Amino acid sequence: MASTVIGAGITIDGEITSDEDVVVQGTVRGKLTARDGVTVEPGAVVEADVSGGPLTVAGSITGNITSTDRVDLQPGAKVIGNVKAARITISDGAQFKGNVDMDV
Amino acid sequence: MNGDVATIGRGTVVRGRITGAANLEILGRVEGEVEVDGDVVLDARGLAAASLSGRRVTIRGAVRGDLVATESIVLEDGARVVGDVRAPRVAIATGALVRGYVQTGDAPAASSTARARPAASAATPRAANVSATASAPRTPPRAAPAPVPSPAARPAPSAPARPVATAIAGSHAAPSSNGSQASQPSQTERTPPRAPSAHAPVHAPAAAPKGPPPPVMPALKKGAKGAMSKKRA
Repeated sequence: MASTVIGAGITIDGEITSDEDVVVQGTVRGKLTARDGVTVEPGAVVEADVSGGPLTVAGSITGNITSTDRVDLQPGAKVIGNVKAARITISDGAQFKGNVDMDV
Repeated sequence: MNGDVATIGRGTVVRGRITGAANLEILGRVEGEVEVDGDVVLDARGLAAASLSGRRVTIRGAVRGDLVATESIVLEDGARVVGDVRAPRVAIATGALVRGYVQTGDAPAASSTARARPAASAATPRAANVSATASAPRTPPRAAPAPVPSPAARPAPSAPARPVATAIAGSHAAPSSNGSQASQPSQTERTPPRAPSAHAPVHAPAAAPKGPPPPVMPALKKGAKGAMSKKRA
């Protein structure tokens, strides 16, 4: 289990910086920076620029995404913003509007 | 399982405002403001430069900021608090350090909770006494959290009891001239059960001036962030 969990009932306005995995189930506005993996679970709302390691999205993100590793948009994910990552997958059923930059 | 629990992990820093209807557990660092409807727990290694408010607030780490709870606040051993503490019920354990204004009880609920209090506090010191913890909590009951003469003075276990403080500590603070018992009354001193609605608790002359300098370290010192990241490595 991840060490940082933003639970479903929680809203954070501001900046989150983490050296460990972050799981978002609630709402985050501002900025989310993690050195490790970030998981945005179904029902979560992120209105923030997100950067981190492997990023798994099943909820909603409005903001730019930067990952040192990979970005997985799962079915039900909704992303509005640019994605910059080494690898990216967009599952069938994910909504996405933005640029993809895979530094080729 | 964690639908209603949020955890700020050990390596995580949150700057800003945390709100919501869930329980919150802080193992890392929080700066800003925390306002949740559920319980707030600050771990022993957690740091908060923030005002914390919740239903029940339990502190084991360091806080710089005000604590407000609708139900209770528990400052456990190892807690370091610089800021005001307000809740219907407040418990400060031996080994907790507080610098700030403490107010227990408010409005109608106060009388019942206040009555329950002495029994509870009478029980705890006994256990605390055994360990003879070096740093007894002293809650300077002052309006101004600002520089208090000798807050949280650490009564050295062997130090002679300070008659002034102990006498005022009330209830069973009988003649304890024995050093290790000196910490006992200060335990009870924290919740003035007799003045539930009255605003200022006992006027304890915030301890003898001869004690060692205040050991209360600021909840977050200037290099605390650096130190923290170093520790992490």
